[in-house]
Amino acid sequence: MLEVKHLTKVYDDGTVALRDVSFTVEDGEFLVIIGLSGSGKSTLLRCINRLIDPTEGEIMWDGVDIAGADAGELRQIRRRIGMIFQHFNLVKRSSVLTNVLSGRLGYVNPWSSLLHRFPAQDRKMAMDALRRVGIADQAHKRADELSGGQQQRVGIARALMQQPSIILADEPVASLDPVLAHSILEHLEMLNQEEGISILCSLHYLDLVQRYASRVIGLRDGRVVYRGTREAIRAMTDDEFKEIYGEEAVRVRVGPQQGGSA
Amino acid sequence: MASRTTRQTSRSSIVPAPIAGIASLILPGLGQALTRQIWRGLLLLGSLATSIGLLAWRINLLAPREVGFADVFVKALQRQPGFVILALLGVVTLWLWNAWDAYQQAKPDQKGGVGIFVLVVAVLFVLGWQISQIQPYKLVTELSDASRPLGRVVWPWRAAVTRDTETIGASADILSPCDELPPPAVPEEVPGQPYIIAEPTCGDLSTRDENLAEVPGTLLTVTGWGFTPNTAALVFWADPLGNEFQMRQGGEYLSIMTDEEGAFEFQVNMPYRLIPPSSEGRMIHRIEVRQITAVGKLRPSTVLLNNIEKMVETIVLGMMATIFGIVLAVPVSFLAARNLMAGSPITMFIYFVTRTVLNIIRSIEPLIWAILAITVVGLGPFAGVIALTVHSIAALGKLYSEAIESIDPGPIEAIHATGATRLQTIMYAVVPQMIPPFVSFSIYRWDINVRMSTIIGLVGGGGIGFLLTQYIRLLDYRSAGIAVWFIAITVAALDYVSSEIRQRFV
Repeated sequence: MLEVKHLTKVYDDGTVALRDVSFTVEDGEFLVIIGLSGSGKSTLLRCINRLIDPTEGEIMWDGVDIAGADAGELRQIRRRIGMIFQHFNLVKRSSVLTNVLSGRLGYVNPWSSLLHRFPAQDRKMAMDALRRVGIADQAHKRADELSGGQQQRVGIARALMQQPSIILADEPVASLDPVLAHSILEHLEMLNQEEGISILCSLHYLDLVQRYASRVIGLRDGRVVYRGTREAIRAMTDDEFKEIYGEEAVRVRVGPQQGGSA
Repeated sequence: MASRTTRQTSRSSIVPAPIAGIASLILPGLGQALTRQIWRGLLLLGSLATSIGLLAWRINLLAPREVGFADVFVKALQRQPGFVILALLGVVTLWLWNAWDAYQQAKPDQKGGVGIFVLVVAVLFVLGWQISQIQPYKLVTELSDASRPLGRVVWPWRAAVTRDTETIGASADILSPCDELPPPAVPEEVPGQPYIIAEPTCGDLSTRDENLAEVPGTLLTVTGWGFTPNTAALVFWADPLGNEFQMRQGGEYLSIMTDEEGAFEFQVNMPYRLIPPSSEGRMIHRIEVRQITAVGKLRPSTVLLNNIEKMVETIVLGMMATIFGIVLAVPVSFLAARNLMAGSPITMFIYFVTRTVLNIIRSIEPLIWAILAITVVGLGPFAGVIALTVHSIAALGKLYSEAIESIDPGPIEAIHATGATRLQTIMYAVVPQMIPPFVSFSIYRWDINVRMSTIIGLVGGGGIGFLLTQYIRLLDYRSAGIAVWFIAITVAALDYVSSEIRQRFV
């Protein structure tokens, strides 16, 4: 269980990205964070694995305070938290397999890994992960030769290598077209349901939220302005939606059935 | 400029249009300044001041000895009427147009025209033409003089090969001046050997009388047999001291052709005295006729071998400088990368110092570094290596650091998030991104260094440039041509290879 308590982040330039944010992620949940760009979603996700250091607050994860962990502890914590990014963040010139194997770096011997040596079972694990996301045949291609959807699947496979108990997904489908968006989220949903991996995912489109989320929190200007259950979000009206997103928000219908209109 | 003036014309002028015009007539640009277009005014004032200053300077140079404005002007007009009239006309037109421009600009809703700046460029062009002494007709009139050396440079390959030569010849002794003792005997004929007789066997050398008029030496009649038929032969004169020179007649080297039996006959005056008049004893000179014929196979000449040797030296010189440059530029580049050094004020200070030093070093040409290096380590390729290394460090350091600055932070974040150590992050997220620009810049630098090392030699930094300047100074245009060809071929080949490698790698 992940508990975020009174989390506040103020950047050096004085920007307040998060104000007193508290919520919990139960094990096995698919928690979706919604909110406009700039509302603090990315900062929140990055605070959880300390890519960004929070200014105040606690992040309790299975009894350990992530916010107060030292460098050694942090590496131990990070390797159990997978992360998926909007722009995939693959090393473009390296092979797909190398990118996937790099998810294992927290576990292997740091010195032999510098020579790109990985244990045989890790290599087998990497191929299994690629098979699981359906791109095992692309393993030896360069990462930038793959399409956007395939690259994000490499990102998922990389996170899988960490054998995570939670995956943070920062706008995982914002750079993809609607059909691919569903395919990526279906992969996440499968991991969520089959492996029991908790998912904490920021999303933009209400339709995707309604389809995949088991619970939703809404952020606006760094504050939690909405908390909703699966049922509540399914019943959400455009007006409520606008409250979170602001007046200029337009509801965009997204889904394979509609053929995509994003 | 255009956007600035457009924006400013929306504001109204301080003074009415005619006054702006008159103001600019008195002081160029003043009217424009009064219409709130200070930059346009300053630009026009600067242009006119520059043009008038340059024109005055050039007119003065055209009449260095004249005193007084009128005399100077008339003399300059006589010497280069086209230039003086055209430039003067341009300056006057510019001045008047500037007044008209101020008048126009002062009117409301008037946009700034750029026509006047076209005229500024035209006037500066006329002045520039004269200052840089552009004389295109020289390309034609001087071509006949240049055609022979140029031809040798363009097609130098006759100097690239040589044959062994064989010299045959015969000589006859001449006494000067004649005395009471019997003159030298006519040489004996040896059958099958070349053989000459010169008559008489004693006489006087050419000299000058009190009025410095020429007194020709005794006319010698030289006959010869036994030479190679139908082949040119050269005539040499050796004085009693053994000094030898080729004989001339009417300013040209004397060259004679043998007939089909290998015989010849010619007449020549005895040359000027070369030995001091005070010298004593009997002076026996020698006249000699020689035929030089090539024998054996063609083989590469010394010139060609020297050029090859120096070309190899050049390429290696460039390569060594590149290797040293890369090795030293890598650590420097980390110090000069903003994203790595942004951590604290101390590292930012190091960053600024490194950047400044690199910029200063880079702005000094390798040629100048070579001259400095030569004062330390002396002439030769090592000086060239030092010069190119110094410049390479600065150039590569900047390029590398910019490559470091432009890497994508996304993968670093992603690898970091997996729980990787800092070293692992560098190895997996930074290094793969760095390799292509590093390889590309390094090969490009190698290319530049080899090209530069051909030039470094001009000041004594070793390599083929050294040889090239020597040949040019000796007016040995064929040998120089070979060096030029070698440089061209090497640079073109390297250019091709380096672009191929870079394409493959990136």
